[in-house]
Amino acid sequence: MKINYISLRPPITRYVIPALAVMMLWSCSKTVDEPTAGISSPSSLDENAGTWKPYLLASASEIPVAEPKQATSEDYKAELKKLKDATDAVTPQQREQINYWGAGAVFRWNEIARELCARYNSPPASTPDGKYPLPDAANPLKDPKFPFANPPYAARAMAYLSVAQYDALVAAWNYKFKYNRKAPSKNDASIKTLLPVSDLPSYPSEDAVVAEVSVVILKAMFPGEVPYLEAKLAEHKHSRISAGLNVDSDIAAGSELGKAVGAKIMARAKTDKMSAANGQAMTAAMIANAKKIGVTEPWVSQEFPPRPPMLPTYGFVKPWNFDSATVVALRPEAPPVIGSPAFQKDMDELLKIAKGQTREQARIASFWSDGVGSYTPPGHWHRKGAQLCHENKYSEVRTARALALLGTTMQDAGICCWDVKYYYYYPRPNQMSSKIKTSVGLPNFPSYTSGHSTFSGAAAEVLAHIFPSSKKEVDDMASEASISRIYGLIHYRFDCEVGLATGHKIGSYAVQRAKTDGAE
Amino acid sequence: MQHFSAPKLMAHNLLIHYSMMRSLHQKGLRLLGILLTAAGPLCCAYAQMPNDAIYMGKKTACLAVSYTHSSWDQYWENSLKRENLNIGTHTTQSVMPMLAVGITKDFNAIVALPYVWTQASAGNLRWQKGVQDASLWLKYRFLNKSGFSLHAIAGASIPATNYIPDFLPMSIGIQCKTATARLLASYRHKSGVYLTASGSYIFRSKITIDRDSYQADDRLYNSNKVSVPNAYDASARLGYLKKAIQAEGFIEYGACDGGDNIRRNDMPFPTNNMRATLVGVYAKYQPKNIGVNARASHAISGRNMGQSTAFSVGVLYQFRYAKDANN
Repeated sequence: MKINYISLRPPITRYVIPALAVMMLWSCSKTVDEPTAGISSPSSLDENAGTWKPYLLASASEIPVAEPKQATSEDYKAELKKLKDATDAVTPQQREQINYWGAGAVFRWNEIARELCARYNSPPASTPDGKYPLPDAANPLKDPKFPFANPPYAARAMAYLSVAQYDALVAAWNYKFKYNRKAPSKNDASIKTLLPVSDLPSYPSEDAVVAEVSVVILKAMFPGEVPYLEAKLAEHKHSRISAGLNVDSDIAAGSELGKAVGAKIMARAKTDKMSAANGQAMTAAMIANAKKIGVTEPWVSQEFPPRPPMLPTYGFVKPWNFDSATVVALRPEAPPVIGSPAFQKDMDELLKIAKGQTREQARIASFWSDGVGSYTPPGHWHRKGAQLCHENKYSEVRTARALALLGTTMQDAGICCWDVKYYYYYPRPNQMSSKIKTSVGLPNFPSYTSGHSTFSGAAAEVLAHIFPSSKKEVDDMASEASISRIYGLIHYRFDCEVGLATGHKIGSYAVQRAKTDGAE
Repeated sequence: MQHFSAPKLMAHNLLIHYSMMRSLHQKGLRLLGILLTAAGPLCCAYAQMPNDAIYMGKKTACLAVSYTHSSWDQYWENSLKRENLNIGTHTTQSVMPMLAVGITKDFNAIVALPYVWTQASAGNLRWQKGVQDASLWLKYRFLNKSGFSLHAIAGASIPATNYIPDFLPMSIGIQCKTATARLLASYRHKSGVYLTASGSYIFRSKITIDRDSYQADDRLYNSNKVSVPNAYDASARLGYLKKAIQAEGFIEYGACDGGDNIRRNDMPFPTNNMRATLVGVYAKYQPKNIGVNARASHAISGRNMGQSTAFSVGVLYQFRYAKDANN
């Protein structure tokens, strides 16, 4: 069988060149398409939100907001004229910014906070002498950067952000409907608006309130990002003017209110015991206690050099939806005795996965890994919560409420889980068998219970209550997040199952609040 | 007198070096190395195409199988040279069958498909293993005069399996599809001494990862698509080739065309601008149809990758695949 190969040559070159050209074209595009968020168009004004129960403000009117000038006043007319000039001079770049912020003020600031969590989620590197330097809040950009936005830190930052946004918006709604200043374009039809206009009163501006209060919180949480945050703040406020939606006095009143609420919220942050959450001096007593209650081989760091465990006294930080005594009451029963049949059963499962992790197991482990450099599990769930609010056409204040319920339960979950972790001081599977290596990175703190599972159980409980039609979806997500830690080879099944169940219990406290906060 | 295209194997080795660079502990997710292996000098598609001026004769083919062992215990985190006690020594090994076919004396095709496995001597990162990227190279000598020759080489690679691309440095590759365009010039003196130089550009596709959020370019992307930078490489080799013996020394440089750096104390990621300069030696002995080759290389400088030292050995078998071979 002879084949004449010579004849192949011209056709091959003829095909190869176009084929290469096609490949080059396809590989030339370096743009990554990210999901875009459409312009927010709330299905309800939530007129009564001024009566909803705030978290920290004594009442919606605790912080006074002055009565605005009358629509008929010369001052207001001058503001309208200025607004008209601004909208006439909108640049394409401003147009883009208008649309960006038009997706929702709470929605965008939540997204910004998640990004900051990810960017600051880097564990300090060890020094040549085997020590791990502590991040320094006074020098936030010096290596190691402050903060190390690990899951407990991120949970707290996001909780304060969402609570601050919610309280500020409840106050704003109170004044909006008290003073009832119509939107500028409803006072002057010749004003061109670049976003939908509703009947929501425009004074004080909800966007300015959210932007300002968010920046107060985020500056404190991420002190190295002050210039970035101030630029975002200015851009956000200006976008409302160039969109024709708020006059200067709407913005100014919102800014003042936001700042004042932010200060109230930060007063709690300064006394919530977070500053004592890295109580390394207490670990010796914790280990002794764990041994006393039957943990024969307490957790030790598997890193080289050994890294001090993450925030061992975070369990003493002040929770949101219950008190510290409840944290102890929610503590689950002890994990299986090391070496017992129950322990061995779950260990055997891990040894099997260690040998033959399937691609699907690896995918699930990776999807939920939310490890170093990510926005952490609380960030993952905030993203889901924000998405659900957007899809369900929630108003700003209702979005803030959903995320505050979610955010507070996330931090509650973190506090309870950290309490459990350092109470039992239970070893990671990797410590018990060198055959077990992870495909997602090994967290540097005790095993029982799983943080992912606790966060996810609490999140699913709250989101299922707020969005009943999404209950199955969020429950499935939580189950997958939980089991992902088994697939990733860093948790025993009992860590995950007990963590998930405890998370649901923790979430039920936020649900209880949701039923009585006046919004349902 | 038929020569084998074994050099491609070598190229592959380079790739592996690149792949090694990944390191870091603790974060756990991303594994990148895979990419490197697969590609060319830097990334994905390098695989084996010749960076040589040697051709199979018409109607002859060469089947080669090579084994490569590449390891590093230091890497460049951005430009910071460091060790990582949670990785220890990172090792990438591979076995790669490769077939080079002489279609005409001036036109060869080469295909290869490596099996790659990784491990770290310390820490808790899980090994990865699997069949990596299939590659095809076409090599065309369009000028050949008085010992001087010019060659146009085109390559493409495509991931052969669904391995994990972003668990660097443990991943066996980065899942890019690649297309490479290479120009190679060579001069061979009658004595057998030759000098070869080449340069290439490697187009790399976007990849899809298991997560729907990741950091790159100092920002957070809310997507599972990752834009991997293109890459380029250059090499020079000085050697001796006569009858059954070939021996050469080489220097190779590979870099990404853009990309970001490994963040402080973080894991590598497919978007990193990996760069390395390798020096090495290569030798082949092929008295008859059966031959052997060996190669060693070492990274003398780099960025965002491991400082790898690699060794490979191969067995070559040359045969006619059609009668009337006429070379």
